[in-house]
Amino acid sequence: MQRNNIKVIPGALVCEESKLRGDITIGAGTIIHPNASIIAEAGPIIIGENCLIEEQVKIIHRLPFDQQNKDTTPVLIIGSHNVFEVDCTVEAPKIGNHNVFESKCFVGNKVTVSNGCIIGAGCKVTEEQILKENICIFGSNCQMRECIDKPAVSTRKQLLLI
Amino acid sequence: MSYITGPEIVKYACTCGLLKPLPELYFCRHCSQIRCSFCLCHAVDSFFCGKCSENIPSAEARHKKNRCANCVICPSCQQELSTRVASKGPINPDDAKSAVKKSYYLSCHFCHWTSRDVGIPDQPSATGCWPERENVHINRLQEVLDVYQDIMLSQQQQKENSKKKRGKFVSYTDRTGVTASALRRRIGIPDIPHAKIKKPKPLDPAIAKSEVEELPEDIFTEPLKLMEITTIDQRLMQPESQPLTVDKLFPIHKQLTIKRSLRCRTCEHNVCKPEYNPTSVKFKIQLFAYYYIPEIRFVTVEPLRAGQTSELIIKFTNPTQHQTTITIFDLDLEEQEKYVEEQKLFDIIDNFEQAMSLEEKQQLSLPSLVMSSGSQPSSMYSLQSRQPSVIVKPRKINQAVNCNVAIPESTFILPPRDDAAEYDDSSDVHNIEDDPKLVKWRKSNKAFIKLAVTPAADLKIDDEVVCGFTMQHIYTNVIPAIVENMPHKYDHKVRVFFRLGKIVGSE
Ligand SMILES: [Zn+2]
Ligand SMILES: [Zn+2]
Ligand SMILES: [Zn+2]
Ligand SMILES: [Zn+2]
Repeated sequence: MQRNNIKVIPGALVCEESKLRGDITIGAGTIIHPNASIIAEAGPIIIGENCLIEEQVKIIHRLPFDQQNKDTTPVLIIGSHNVFEVDCTVEAPKIGNHNVFESKCFVGNKVTVSNGCIIGAGCKVTEEQILKENICIFGSNCQMRECIDKPAVSTRKQLLLI
Repeated sequence: MSYITGPEIVKYACTCGLLKPLPELYFCRHCSQIRCSFCLCHAVDSFFCGKCSENIPSAEARHKKNRCANCVICPSCQQELSTRVASKGPINPDDAKSAVKKSYYLSCHFCHWTSRDVGIPDQPSATGCWPERENVHINRLQEVLDVYQDIMLSQQQQKENSKKKRGKFVSYTDRTGVTASALRRRIGIPDIPHAKIKKPKPLDPAIAKSEVEELPEDIFTEPLKLMEITTIDQRLMQPESQPLTVDKLFPIHKQLTIKRSLRCRTCEHNVCKPEYNPTSVKFKIQLFAYYYIPEIRFVTVEPLRAGQTSELIIKFTNPTQHQTTITIFDLDLEEQEKYVEEQKLFDIIDNFEQAMSLEEKQQLSLPSLVMSSGSQPSSMYSLQSRQPSVIVKPRKINQAVNCNVAIPESTFILPPRDDAAEYDDSSDVHNIEDDPKLVKWRKSNKAFIKLAVTPAADLKIDDEVVCGFTMQHIYTNVIPAIVENMPHKYDHKVRVFFRLGKIVGSE
């Protein structure tokens, strides 16, 4: 059982009831709601600035089976202005900026998320791939399309909450 | 409710011989017969937009191709688009007080498609007259439509001139709406012949070509960009342009929804009529079988083995305000077959009589038609909803039964439905003498019944077991006008079929 080593940069808001395990760094302006769990199992997690992590979100740093038992410890870096909506599960090994993970979506540990992507509500993305910039996944069949208009939700949502 | 009744385990036989689960059936109180959507007459009552709830008259709906003028749906995912504000800086940058200039664009909350994606300029007003795309084939289509209209008109006139009307009812409507001459005749003005009876002018036919353009060279070398190509669904949503690439998608006007009324074909009474107001989900008339026929639900059955008797428990619920007695009879599919044959015979006799006295009958049926439509809110209304009635002939029940049900000797009573009983635990006492061999347990208007079922001996493992019986219940008629000359209470029979599950191996 490893020790928890949590670093919260001033300006971040972390609720006491949230579940944080392992080596986690939380950037300024990031809000972590109660009952969100962030589990740094395989290595440290670094969360950027102005992220919003809502209730029942599970961010898990877990390696795929074929990449385990390596000497180097990978670091999960989550960029800035990302929104994790209620009850989404994200295991991606790398997340860029300005992404939105909508409610109850699932992102597997082989999916690398770049910038400006939207994973729609309830969508499951598990196949090994790199999501290009501004990709939007939506619908029950997980249709993909490229968004030209950048989602401007993240900053507005945070302003409302503060 | 479909999660309870959805798996079609218990099916009721409609009068027409089709098997349907109870929530899909209707009950005509005037004929005291079960009806299903197949043996009812459907009529469109009103058109409305599901988003803005605006009622649209049928002529306007036809003119607008059954689409709402104001609401648009997303061309990418077919969800409704909403208007979004995009504020640009103040009109006059020097003056701090000047109002912020607002502009609007369309956006889909679901797939995040926006009207900016395809280069539609932002609109200054929220209701926005969004630009419509011109259809390149509009002229040709209009020509074809015009010719079709002409052909129909001339056919209509030929039909009216020949004066011979068949069937019980006169059709007042056709594909172009209420015909003027039919209206004329109805209000008693003599029919004036049309001034322009012209031969439809022939159209230049479309020419088939065998030469098509060669495929571009790079189609085999360029990597495919799936993100830029539209899906089949997206193309079919815009049949007039059928865009190949996503940058040619355009907002689509939302299709209208209808409210329909259902009419018994035998007695011409409505069995289902919604309220006119689009925002109301209530009905003026709703004779659903669910409110009149006792509901049977499958509770449990012992493991089914070929040739061995198992105990089946089913639950009966009385949905009416009147006590009923339930008797279980043999399925007797032969009787149903006989009934079907009889009806066929009646039909032949009917047709013969009709042929004999066609003229006479027509004169009789016209005044009666006027009388019956007098009770409708508007006469135009009834004109549209009335269609030539076709009686659906009953058919043989097409369901094999491979399991025997031991028919109980006694009957049982179902007390009336009492909504308050749901919340009252104390009134669980009842003084109904039950046959303990038949009734396992009862509570308010529900009873759990034990039946012995024996699957046929020649069934193999994994074979589907189907059993059935005829349920007779006492139906209480509550329509005051009919009560006088009809029995107040009488027995109504319905055949019920159960899919019990599969045969399992021996112990
Ligand atoms: Zn039917
Ligand atoms: Zn509308
Ligand atoms: Zn959409
Ligand atoms: Zn009827």
